[in-house]
Amino acid sequence: MKTRTPAIEISGLNVRFNSLSILRDINFKLEPGEIVAVIGPNGAGKTTLFRAILGLIPFDGSIRVLGSPTKKALGQLGYVPQRFSFDRSFPLRVREFLSLSLRGPDTGLIERSLSDTEMLGRKDSLIGSLSGGQLQRVLMARALMGSPDILLLDEPTAGVDLEGESGFYDIIKKQNASRGVTSLVITHEINMVYKYATRVICLNRDIYCHGTPKESITRELLSRLYGKDVVMRGHSH
Amino acid sequence: MLYYPFMRRAFCAGVILAALLAVLGVFVVLRKMAFFADGIAHASLSGAAAGLLFSMDPMFTALISAIIFAAVIYFLERRLGVSSDSSIGIIFAFGMALGVFLISRRPGYQPELISFLFGNILAIRNSDLLLIAVLGVVILVFIFRNLRALTLMSLDNELAHSGGVRVEPLRLAMNIFLACAVVLGIRILGVVLVSALLIIPVSSAKLVAGGFKQLILISVIFSEAALLSGLTVSYAMDIPAGPAIVLAGSVFFALSGLFSAGSGSVKRAAGGN
Repeated sequence: MKTRTPAIEISGLNVRFNSLSILRDINFKLEPGEIVAVIGPNGAGKTTLFRAILGLIPFDGSIRVLGSPTKKALGQLGYVPQRFSFDRSFPLRVREFLSLSLRGPDTGLIERSLSDTEMLGRKDSLIGSLSGGQLQRVLMARALMGSPDILLLDEPTAGVDLEGESGFYDIIKKQNASRGVTSLVITHEINMVYKYATRVICLNRDIYCHGTPKESITRELLSRLYGKDVVMRGHSH
Repeated sequence: MLYYPFMRRAFCAGVILAALLAVLGVFVVLRKMAFFADGIAHASLSGAAAGLLFSMDPMFTALISAIIFAAVIYFLERRLGVSSDSSIGIIFAFGMALGVFLISRRPGYQPELISFLFGNILAIRNSDLLLIAVLGVVILVFIFRNLRALTLMSLDNELAHSGGVRVEPLRLAMNIFLACAVVLGIRILGVVLVSALLIIPVSSAKLVAGGFKQLILISVIFSEAALLSGLTVSYAMDIPAGPAIVLAGSVFFALSGLFSAGSGSVKRAAGGN
């Protein structure tokens, strides 16, 4: 039987800054078509994990994206950062911002990706005039422009209201259903993990749990992960 | 006024430099690199002083020193993790100190040095004009060939990297080209005022532009207008060109501010939807 190449395969990943160990012996695989959530407290190394996958920082161990080193597979990755801080008075329109990521002439790609993220109506708006949630959708549109096989989303709905949050995750789900896009999502929203993720990875420098949300997320686990007692509502086991 | 060859050279050099500094200024403002430009301008005094001391072309030696300093700032930031402000501050002070030290080894009055500090349109020779034209075209071609990547990198390094931009070589190249442009601009505006043409036209254009392409175009128009009106006033009133150009630029900035504050601001009308 032919085995499929994992979307992302991480083995023996260690990241250190000076003498501080940020990630210790991380091992996991993402199969194509999965939506995997990464949860953990602040400072757990979640963003560092993404920076390592993107090849932005040095690390020990192996990270392979669709069977290749990240450098070769960067075009298959769509990335939505946690924060995009820029001079909001800078006159840059949404379509101009998206055109910066085009590798050739625009053949309707900008309109399609804006339509996929329900932001087509704001294509001529200045990016500085967008709300936090709208800006995240524009960043999502940018990530989708390269028709990526894998999306890396770093707390994409931080600071977004509940409706906007749910709408954003619907976009991820739709991409997954229509094109089989694999997603690795950092989030603090446990409800969203239950609703959308096929698997969850609990990270706090080491991997604390790895499995389906129902199996993995327990009150004891969360208390151990976050270092304090956690009350769970609506998801008792 | 254009009857005199030195004025013709000044106008030709000025027109090229105004466009070059305005376009570069867009990235300087976007990446908050004003202190970098100022630091390189002041540090290049050491290169000019070395040129004078060893009887070489001070503009050429200033150019070499600016390229070295731009590379050193890059490596201090990237390899040693020294903060951007501190790296530039160190090079700024070191270059100035070295310049003053070298100047003190040469006895007598130094007219070239004064023109280096405050600019002198009379000092532009045919060889300078040729250097400004060639380097100006090279830098502008580099910018427009890499416009998307440079803009994305200026907005966010990580986004640029994830989009396949080779951020580090591009950043080093940008620093070096900016340093070269600053030294070229010193001929007309001097060390003290050269960063004005990087900052004022773009800041004025930001107040009225309705998009990124408009921003580049309006910055160049403001820069050329400041240059041409400044040179004209300088000639008519017999005052130094550098301050006249900067004052003209400041007037355009004030007018842009008034226009933007009024109800007809193109930017707000278009951006608020």
